[in-house]
Amino acid sequence: MKFGRRAFLQFAAGAVGGTLLSPLPWKLVDDASIWSQNWSWRPSPERGPVTRKASVCTLCDGGCGIQVRLVNKNRAISVEGNPRHPVNEGGICPLGAAGAQFLYAPYRISQPMKQSKKRGDATGFKPISWDEAVGELQKKLSNLRKAETPHTVAAITGHAHNSMQDLWQQFFTAYGSQNLFTMPSHRDSLQGAGLLALGREAPFAFDLEHASFILSFGADLVEGWGSPGRMQTLFGKWNASEAEGAAVKLVQVASRCSMTAAKADRWIPVRPGSEAALALGMAHVMVKEKLYDASFMQDHVFGFEDWTDTRGKPRQGFKSFLMAAENSLEAASQQTGLEAPRIVDLAREFAAQNHAVAVWGGSGGNLPENTYHDLVFFALNVLKGNLKPGGMLSLAATVPLGELPQIRGDETARKGLAQKSADQIGDEKPSLTGRNLYAFLSLVAQAPPYPIEILMIHEANPAYGLAGKQTFEKAVERVGWMVSFSSYMDETALLADIILPNHAALERLDDVIGLPGSPLAYYAVAAPVLPPRLNTRHTGDVLLQLARSMGGSVGEALPWKSHEEFLQERVKGLAAAEGGAVFEESPSDWGKVKVGSTPHRNYTDGAGLWKKLSAGHCWYDAPRDPLQEIRSASGKIELAFQTLDSKGWAVEKDELYLPRFALQAPSGDPKEYPLLLLPYRMSSLSYGYHPNPPFMTKTVWDFVLKGKESFVELHPGTAQSMGLKEGDRIILKTPGGEATVRVHLFPGARPEAVYMPLGLGRKGYDAYIGGKGANVNSLLDVQGDPLSGQGIAWSARAQLKRLG
Amino acid sequence: MNDEKNNGSGKRIVGGVIFVAGFIIALIFGWVVFPNLLYSQRPQPMEFSHAAHQDSTCEDCHFFRDDGTYSGIPRIEKCKECHESPMGQTEDERILVEEFIQQDREIPWRIYSWQPDNVYFSHAPHKVKGVECVVCHRDVSKEEKLPPYKENRLTGYSINTMKMDVCEKCHAEQGANNNCGVCHK
Repeated sequence: MKFGRRAFLQFAAGAVGGTLLSPLPWKLVDDASIWSQNWSWRPSPERGPVTRKASVCTLCDGGCGIQVRLVNKNRAISVEGNPRHPVNEGGICPLGAAGAQFLYAPYRISQPMKQSKKRGDATGFKPISWDEAVGELQKKLSNLRKAETPHTVAAITGHAHNSMQDLWQQFFTAYGSQNLFTMPSHRDSLQGAGLLALGREAPFAFDLEHASFILSFGADLVEGWGSPGRMQTLFGKWNASEAEGAAVKLVQVASRCSMTAAKADRWIPVRPGSEAALALGMAHVMVKEKLYDASFMQDHVFGFEDWTDTRGKPRQGFKSFLMAAENSLEAASQQTGLEAPRIVDLAREFAAQNHAVAVWGGSGGNLPENTYHDLVFFALNVLKGNLKPGGMLSLAATVPLGELPQIRGDETARKGLAQKSADQIGDEKPSLTGRNLYAFLSLVAQAPPYPIEILMIHEANPAYGLAGKQTFEKAVERVGWMVSFSSYMDETALLADIILPNHAALERLDDVIGLPGSPLAYYAVAAPVLPPRLNTRHTGDVLLQLARSMGGSVGEALPWKSHEEFLQERVKGLAAAEGGAVFEESPSDWGKVKVGSTPHRNYTDGAGLWKKLSAGHCWYDAPRDPLQEIRSASGKIELAFQTLDSKGWAVEKDELYLPRFALQAPSGDPKEYPLLLLPYRMSSLSYGYHPNPPFMTKTVWDFVLKGKESFVELHPGTAQSMGLKEGDRIILKTPGGEATVRVHLFPGARPEAVYMPLGLGRKGYDAYIGGKGANVNSLLDVQGDPLSGQGIAWSARAQLKRLG
Repeated sequence: MNDEKNNGSGKRIVGGVIFVAGFIIALIFGWVVFPNLLYSQRPQPMEFSHAAHQDSTCEDCHFFRDDGTYSGIPRIEKCKECHESPMGQTEDERILVEEFIQQDREIPWRIYSWQPDNVYFSHAPHKVKGVECVVCHRDVSKEEKLPPYKENRLTGYSINTMKMDVCEKCHAEQGANNNCGVCHK
């Protein structure tokens, strides 16, 4: 028999039938699809055992306890809040939660780099070895010392709340330069206010754990004011308190209906910048109606009544100043835009509450405020008697860490330190506290008192984050050599001549000193959760290496072998100091720690304390009685700031000694620029050194950022009068610059203002961060604070023009 | 005429036989040969006898951690608790002690029920519902030798990896949620 064509077809038909009734085709299709899920280039998490490592977050100063989920102990998957940590009780902010993405970000700098082309050219960076990089920096630093010009070295650090700041200070003092700056923060103006009122350069702290009535003057409590983890936890408790019948009331005074205002029990919309006028108006009512704590004012306050200055000149006290026409109820009503009876009611309500407290700090505590206004809000708390034992306000308690070695300082260092820091030159008024970064940069850009040969930038991004157009860029043009220690290729690192990359936050050892806004003494060690992935080095270790190789008195001042040993020494000092304990109780007991509590010491020596701290626990001590902390000339709380006399200020007008409303109107002609541009912050936008990780950007609403375009908020009435609709593209112009943005109509905006979020408009990085939206910082107007001289950037005058 | 008729029906019979032959060969290929071709047999790094460990309870090695996660196959630390030094003369004992325990290396077991990355499976809720281990896993209580590990040449998964239809069927029968998000998070 021949197997012909017909037979073949018959066989094939049978085979097809048989195949269809077998698993072969179905299994193949299924497996092919699974095969396509496992192509090697498709991202897939590493396999291995999952563990959790407890540490402390250092992405901001909030001191939150975290635990990082790791695969094989070296691949971070996610960051969670540590439920046993008292600050955040398991809560975490969007930045912390997305923090693991920084480790694997493509914009990380993988090894030391040197610019081989023009500054700012991203293609010009060539990899060099650590030996070459540190060697070159060391050589330049040594040469400047040889030339007896160590004061021409400057640095800006983004850290003000950890031991790295102290290490920088130690290095600079031993080296011989005063030009060490930190990025601007509300702490700057608060320290000035603390100095004037209490004789202590410490920021104020609020016992919000025990408050029953919180009057917030523009403080974005929910968005992350002070320590965001603490505020989140507290906010949850305040909400729960309502169900428990002991409702904690939150009243928000702000021009914009922020998230905090929306979630508060009451929102009091005032004219932009007039929060302090409302506080003064309330103080006026409290004094007029005798609703203040009279015995407290008499026993503990100087300058409430009229007083006499050191030259024997009689001066007006705060009390009679409040009764003056400029502080009348009508004046407050006019400045704030609120009807007078509302101010009276609010003052009476505030005065009647047992545990009422006024808080403030509009930028989440991250930008300096007007010092006079800080003092107005402080004065309102003083009238309430809030500095009494058991009161709601005190000074942040200090952490008794081990002292750094005495600096012998050679002749070169002494010469260098004799030179004033560059920001202090040409200033007619002596500075109150600290350094003034804006003054430094503008002087360097325009008329430097002496050349700045080396500028080092550590964990800061002034090219993006400082207000005013090109404040930093212009100064850098006059700087001889710029060194960046950034882990990221950010706007500032891009301008550097050499980059010595730090480890990423989760890869390195750091510490956290103090909890912003909290009266408790707090210290935590952020242990690395995984080994460094790239060829990076801890900036602390680089500084120590530099000091070692320079030798002499610089080497002696920084004797530690490593940054770890340096921190261990500090912790040894903490263990040797009196008081304090490691917090190992239930997080709910944190609120029970009060003035006078004596924490049960649960370590015997430095090594024991170090072990507990590196396991993610924190050290704490009870708050101090603020009345015992006063170091002012009168020994009392001063509402008339006679310290100004001792600081060499020649004050003529009586009111300049007193807490007063001193709103600085932004520059620009109101006719040309009819609106006020105000920045606002969101918890889903990171506006500091760290950019927004992609996970976090996912949570940003599409009426804030859509594709590459960001939106400004405009009151519907204002928009209508200008013929603008939702989504319209406009050019927003301020005297400082302009940006193309889109319009979002928001009834929670003041009609005279336009609001723009902080944290957008970064350049570079990667496709998920760079070029998204406009940077509000570059549009803002920088003014010198009337008291501290620090740069304040609260607003700018603005005009809108429709595009097309 | 008759011949032609016979011839025609004969052809049809032959045709039918050829068709059935093709049909049966394809069935045999599809059901018997193909599965053997699709899977390769891969060796385990060493032999393991569950039966020899009957002095321990199952939970000594396969336990739930405090946070509710399941330990699965024990890590080398666990083996080390008893096998720090050899407990017998066998070759496998030597491999365990010399190649893994002494070098502090994990044993790269091939896992029979390894699930893909896109599946989120938690043992804990199944345990709470009283699902016996043997509903999904083989009974190992008397097992002397590890069964052969068969790896799908296309997908790389084990032949024992449970497929979604099995999960869904049981979920449906037990009235458990069958939403996508239950397993694919």
